[in-house]
Amino acid sequence: MELILASAECNPAVDIICAPADVNELFEYREAIFSLGPFPFTRTVILILGIALIVSALLYFGLRKKALVPGKFQTVVEGIVGFVRDDVAIEIIGEHGAKYAPWLLSVFLFVLVGNMFEITPFISFPVTSRMALPVMLAAITWVVFVVAGIKRQGFGYFLGIVWPKSVPIALRPLVGLIEFFSILFLRPITLAIRLFANLVAGHLMLALLLVSGWVFISNIGEIGPRAGIGLAWFTMGLGIYMFEIVVIILQAYIFTLLSAVYVQTSLYPDH
Amino acid sequence: MDLEAAEAIKGAIALVGYGLAAIGPGIGIGIVAGSAIEAMARQPEAAGIARTTMFLGIAFTEALALIGFVLFFIA
Repeated sequence: MELILASAECNPAVDIICAPADVNELFEYREAIFSLGPFPFTRTVILILGIALIVSALLYFGLRKKALVPGKFQTVVEGIVGFVRDDVAIEIIGEHGAKYAPWLLSVFLFVLVGNMFEITPFISFPVTSRMALPVMLAAITWVVFVVAGIKRQGFGYFLGIVWPKSVPIALRPLVGLIEFFSILFLRPITLAIRLFANLVAGHLMLALLLVSGWVFISNIGEIGPRAGIGLAWFTMGLGIYMFEIVVIILQAYIFTLLSAVYVQTSLYPDH
Repeated sequence: MDLEAAEAIKGAIALVGYGLAAIGPGIGIGIVAGSAIEAMARQPEAAGIARTTMFLGIAFTEALALIGFVLFFIA
């Protein structure tokens, strides 16, 4: 809604391309809505608290009764929990997987609800498109898989990375160097960037298509038949909207899946 | 060349860079998905594993294109 209101200032009759002066405007932090002592509350912070509330409420009310014959709501929540535990944690990590299921479930639901805000009317803002959030989640994953590796193999975990035993000895320095960078640096970076970039791309596409479509259509009096272009943009925007639903669920799934895979590779390095 | 034109050209080059960054992952994702479909068609009982592995492969391949996308904004 804010974007639509903001774009009303740009007049399509004069200037068809209504771009912000600088792309950084899209990434600027808005003024805090209110502050509690040293903690400023922006829209992002409020939405993050909203995610925590929604996820807690979902799990609490979904699994409160533990009925033998579950109702509709309980079935759905149990389905999500069972999916993350059986199809992600245990299937990917193996026998020790159930231990990591609560963490994976939290990550999955947090990312899923955070992504869902992208297509929620009147919010239309994926919280996970703020780089700070994916980076924090990726850092947690990094800590979890490094700690899991150290717990399982001791210091040999790092030795196994820089001096891989399964490779011919002449190649070990080279492969070790590549593995060192790819496991300890590229993994968390790509994990964060994947989520961030997917959501930013989707948000930009939706915003550009729907807003430009709306600007064209709402200015039909001034620009006449050219407003028909807006209809095409708007239709395409609605198509992308459907596509984004798939992307949202898939990205939450992929984030969880990759976290599980990273833990698995530090638990069983030979596989 | 004045500064404004240089800025505009920089933006255009960033666009071309993103396009180049999308070529490789595009081919890669096509290969991954194609092979996964082939595997699923040959062995429908292994479709679950093939699908999970396909998503993993796509996620790893896609990262390059997304890094290009982010660099387009940074440039």
